[in-house]
Amino acid sequence: MIRRLLAKRRFMRDHHWTGAHMSDYLDGELRPEEQSRLEEHVHWCPECRRMLESLRRTVKGLMELRRPAPESVAPSVIDRLRRES
Amino acid sequence: MDLAAGSALPLLPTWHPVANGDPRPHVRTPAGRAVTAGTDAEAHLVRTAQSGDRDAFEQLVRLHADRLYAVVIRVVGDRHEAEEVVQETFLRAWRSLGRFEGRSQFFTWLYRIGVNEAKRTYERRGARPASTPLEEAPGQAADERHTPHARAEAQDLRQALEAAIMELPMDYRMPLVLRDIEGLSTTQAAAVMDLGEAAFKSRLHRARLAVRAAVEELVTQEHDA
Repeated sequence: MIRRLLAKRRFMRDHHWTGAHMSDYLDGELRPEEQSRLEEHVHWCPECRRMLESLRRTVKGLMELRRPAPESVAPSVIDRLRRES
Repeated sequence: MDLAAGSALPLLPTWHPVANGDPRPHVRTPAGRAVTAGTDAEAHLVRTAQSGDRDAFEQLVRLHADRLYAVVIRVVGDRHEAEEVVQETFLRAWRSLGRFEGRSQFFTWLYRIGVNEAKRTYERRGARPASTPLEEAPGQAADERHTPHARAEAQDLRQALEAAIMELPMDYRMPLVLRDIEGLSTTQAAAVMDLGEAAFKSRLHRARLAVRAAVEELVTQEHDA
C-alpha cells in the first residue's frame, strides 16, 4: 500500500517535471540522467507521450518556416547609409 | 511512439551547421576574400569599420541584412516597415560602432539593436493593420516523395503555425522566431533578448506550448489515427 502510494507520488513528480522540460529534451539540452528520467516517464505516461510527440511536430514545423528574403534588402540599406552618414 | 527518433537527434534547423554543412551567411570582399559570419574575418571587418571604413561596414551589411530582415518582419508583420527597421538598425549600428567592445558576437549586438527598433515600430503602429503584410508562406518545392495529401497537410500546418505565431505576445514570439525559425542557439537568442538562459528557455517553452495548442488538431491527427 505504502509502496504504491510512493510510486504514485513519484509518478506525479516526474509528470510535472517532464511537462516543464519537454522543450529542453527536444533541443538536446538535458543532461543524460535527466534525459533518461524524461524518457522513462514518457514510456509509462500516454498523456506525456502524446504531448511530447505533438510538441516535436510543432517545433519541426516551426523550423521549416524559415524562408529566404524574396530579394536582398542590403542595397537599400547601403543606399540609405550613403545618404545619411 | 518511436522515442529514439525524437531523442537521439535533437531538432536542428535545416540551415544549422551540424545539420546541413555550414551555410552561415557569407560575403565576398571586393578583393575576392570570402567572409563568413562569426569568424575572425568578420571580426577583422568590424575592427576596420570601427576605424571609420564605410566599405568594411557595407560588407557587414551584406553579411547580415537579410537574416536580420527575416527576424524583423516577424515582429512588425509588414514588409516595408521591416525594411525601414533594418535600415534604421544599420544606421544606429554605424553611428554607435565605437561602443561595440567585442564582448559578444557582432551579430548578437546588431540583432539586439534590430529587435528593439522593431518592437518600437510595432508598438508605435499599435492596432493599425500592416499596409504591406506578410504574403502567405509560399509552398515549398513539392517533394515528390510525399503524396498530394501529405503536401496539403504540410501546407495547412505552415499556415496555421504562421497565424499562431502572430497571435503570440511579443515577449513570447521573439524566442520562437530567434530559436526555432532563425535557428540561433539558446545562448545567442538569450543574448539578443538580453535575458538569462533560464528565463529565455522558460519563455520559449511557453511559446511552443501556446503554438502547439493552436495547431493541436494538425499535429495530433496523424498520430491518433
